[in-house]
Amino acid sequence: MIVAVILVIVLWGWLRAFAWFDPVAFCRIHIDVELLEGERGPIREAIALVRREDPLAYRALCRWVDRIQEERQCDAGDPQANPRLRGQSAIAPGVLDPALIRARAAPGCYVRGSRVIVLQRPPDDGDGPALVRTRAEALKRLAAYSQSFWLERVR
Amino acid sequence: MTRRRVLMLGAIVVVVAVVAMRYFVWWDVGARCVIGLRPSLVGYDNTTVKRALATLKHGSREDYQKVCVHVATINPNPSCGGFGGGCFWHFEGNRGRASIDVSTEHGLIWTVAIIVHETCHAIQYHEGRPAQFDLEHECYGEDDRILRALVQFE
Repeated sequence: MIVAVILVIVLWGWLRAFAWFDPVAFCRIHIDVELLEGERGPIREAIALVRREDPLAYRALCRWVDRIQEERQCDAGDPQANPRLRGQSAIAPGVLDPALIRARAAPGCYVRGSRVIVLQRPPDDGDGPALVRTRAEALKRLAAYSQSFWLERVR
Repeated sequence: MTRRRVLMLGAIVVVVAVVAMRYFVWWDVGARCVIGLRPSLVGYDNTTVKRALATLKHGSREDYQKVCVHVATINPNPSCGGFGGGCFWHFEGNRGRASIDVSTEHGLIWTVAIIVHETCHAIQYHEGRPAQFDLEHECYGEDDRILRALVQFE
């Protein structure tokens, strides 16, 4: 009996440690963050906000997204494709394709063909309710993109 | 050999096979695609490479088929491309299905882009581009194209 309880606790901890885990909704979404800089807490808060405010969006998130990754930015193109910019380590934002600039400024993006959402890593001072709200809205929108992608494939 | 030893040996073989399949082989029976994944020594495990291959498979079938045809092995360890890039080596051993080096440091999006970029170099090598051809320009164009096709942000 004691062994069973310990096993359940270990299993619960393992399922929850690196993920959003909501057994009632059969929902587990892995959360990847940078080892030293990242925090899963704010991402969990954003998912919790989606669950509270928009059950339909939460259901879509659980069904169509299996991983959330925190990255420096979303790259919707490679600046090196422009020969004038190739080899430059620091590229001034002004010379970039406007689509790339918008992608880099976006709070997150969805990678078509996957069930992965990428969230932009916040600046050091970017924290608090505003960040949670921005991310919650991004999660709703990006989960809908994933849903559309996979449902269109079935049709 | 006793029955117990046979069972233990069988269990060990099964565990080794499962670990090998999970971490060191991309095997897509339907597409007849087998790609070996070298062990990663830097902590970015091979599942990122597998996730990138799965993303290509569903997101861009044509690019996925090119990878299957031209690439035999993916090395996820840092090489000449450092932690953030990839490499293709021009040598006789890469004349058949090639080996490409792909860093997974910058997550799924860039792993997909680097696989497409290095596969482009493998195709160039296999098809024999003429002298003076700008090899990098063609392949940067390819990774730019796949990023624009797959990354949806608005």
